[in-house]
Amino acid sequence: MRTRWYQSLSLRLLILFWLLFFGVASSSYLLALWFSKPVEPQPLSASVQNTLTPLLSDSQTFASLTPGRLLAGDFRVVASLAPEGKERLQVERNIGTSMQRLIMRQLEADQAEQIPYNNQMLIGPFYNNERRILLVRPLTLEERRMQVVSEQEAQEAQTTALLIGSGFISIVLGVWLVRPLKRLTQATRQIAVGIESPELHGLPKRSDELGELARALSNTAHDLAVSRDAQRRLLSDVSHELRSPLARMQVALTLSHDENDDSMNPHMQQMGRDLERLSNIIERILSLSRLENGLVKLTRVDVDTRELVEQLAADLSYVDAEQGRRVHVLPKAPDHGDWPVLSSDSELLRLVLENLVRNALQYTSELIELRCEKDGNLYHIFVRDFGEGVPEEQLQKLFEPFFRGDPSRHHKAGVGLGMALSLRAALVLGGKITAQNHPDGGLEVCVSLPKDGK
Amino acid sequence: MTKILLVDDDAELSSMLEQILTREGYELTLAADGETGLQRALSGSYNLILLDVMLPGIDGFQLLQRLRQQARSTPVLMLTARGDDDDRVAGLELGADDYLPKPFYPKELVARVKALLRRTPNTSVTPEPLEHAGFHIDPMQNEAKVDDVVLELTPTEFDILRVLVQGAGQVVSKDQMSVAALGRQLAPFDRSLDVHISNIRKKIHHNPERIQTVRGRGYRLMALASA
Repeated sequence: MRTRWYQSLSLRLLILFWLLFFGVASSSYLLALWFSKPVEPQPLSASVQNTLTPLLSDSQTFASLTPGRLLAGDFRVVASLAPEGKERLQVERNIGTSMQRLIMRQLEADQAEQIPYNNQMLIGPFYNNERRILLVRPLTLEERRMQVVSEQEAQEAQTTALLIGSGFISIVLGVWLVRPLKRLTQATRQIAVGIESPELHGLPKRSDELGELARALSNTAHDLAVSRDAQRRLLSDVSHELRSPLARMQVALTLSHDENDDSMNPHMQQMGRDLERLSNIIERILSLSRLENGLVKLTRVDVDTRELVEQLAADLSYVDAEQGRRVHVLPKAPDHGDWPVLSSDSELLRLVLENLVRNALQYTSELIELRCEKDGNLYHIFVRDFGEGVPEEQLQKLFEPFFRGDPSRHHKAGVGLGMALSLRAALVLGGKITAQNHPDGGLEVCVSLPKDGK
Repeated sequence: MTKILLVDDDAELSSMLEQILTREGYELTLAADGETGLQRALSGSYNLILLDVMLPGIDGFQLLQRLRQQARSTPVLMLTARGDDDDRVAGLELGADDYLPKPFYPKELVARVKALLRRTPNTSVTPEPLEHAGFHIDPMQNEAKVDDVVLELTPTEFDILRVLVQGAGQVVSKDQMSVAALGRQLAPFDRSLDVHISNIRKKIHHNPERIQTVRGRGYRLMALASA
């Protein structure tokens, strides 16, 4: 199912971001409003009451109080409201709009209050003969300081609120966007190790692009599993179909030889050798194919590499003492550490090294040297021969299936699958193989393996 | 006369193997499919069964499983043309005694057959009962006990345990065990011994770690800490 435009992630993201910005902006606006609104009116302080009451109780004085006029101390009349007349409202000039608004509101108030505003304290209203007046005085230093402090507090609260708000919003965003991505990553990893149905939780049910991706991923996982199964079945069938006739030929050859009961005739001998060669090739092609298709199950254990190579040398001697004598395992070098114990698959590791050593034995007639070096978290196992080396341009081809150095000169050499097998097996083990000509002659193949597998 | 049952649907191969094994002095019975094979295996008394994996009807694994369910401990040598190591080991896990991948040298087959027959109960080496670390082996009775609980072992498993008990807590190398129990040297990539050991461990389910793996050297029996 394709994603409809109205379900698309881009649209959702757009709306989400818009909502978020809107939310942040409006909340900060509201906060600003909340903290910047004028301080609530306070009841008149006793000192003001004491100073002003005597002055204002006299109706003649009261009547003469027009805006702009100074009263006792710093008190000044700022507005007056008469019950009737043409200009019943009089306000001091040069007063800001917001102050005017405050004045108008305060004129309607039921009883006298004081309101700090900007640098002034608005006081009133006072009544006399239904006439009302409002007074102002400059704020005292102390009051001014209090105002600044409370403004600062307001600002701090505002900043904190904004920080917490935006943090919360980004967490929501992160969870909403990043969690599905993490799950997809995990699922991909699961697929990589061959799990048919990775854990996608509710992701495939989503209607946006992420849902589409999750569905595609789970289909791919299924297809992969199916083709892996097919591959496995094919390998199994092919090997069965090829091995059965080989088995018959092998038995038939033995029977024909025994019936004649004299030394085997050379043609039969040739047939025997080719039979062996053929089963060898089949075995190796199948191993190669299993390795390449990830059908080999690794069983990681602690592998003592020194023991492994020594066992390998011993086994080669068992088959052919002459060959065994040619394999030398170098003891630890003073500055390179000992042969390590690696977390690896002992069979595969042996396969890697055995093919390299056998190859060297087949193509040269001198010593084969095995040594190990440590390089950070990597161990390099070197298989070096003292033969003629390999032309530079062929070094890379060494690891291609069916490549053989110089078939005309090495008629008895293998089928050209050993090195390819080594490389694939090393890759499966999380390592790699490189080949180079040693400066002092001979080919040197290096198997690099991580200490802990991956 | 030693009787061998060969279950394989490959008629040509079967008849040729019959010739070879008859010449070695064995009496061969052939079965070309799983059902016939199972019937014969259950009805007749054979000293050894050669069993192919890919069979029409029930396959070699199923046949082996049913055979072992009927508590028949006849030695079984699996012949397999399937490539996977998993397939090879699967037979051992189901209680086969050894396996031989196809194609094989007939000489190798004869050698394995001889090795497996050599250690069937009546030709046992040490008739005296053995005991170590709670394990009790009585070769005469063909009985193995751990802490007085009788273990149901296949002949191969029995022999492996016998070698371990004989070792009396010393490390017994894989090669030693392989020679004693399978009658052959262990090849480099051979996991059969490990599978047999793991089968025995499963049967000592209350205490599988009593057979201890000594990395790179072999196995040994561990006495219980409290004992």
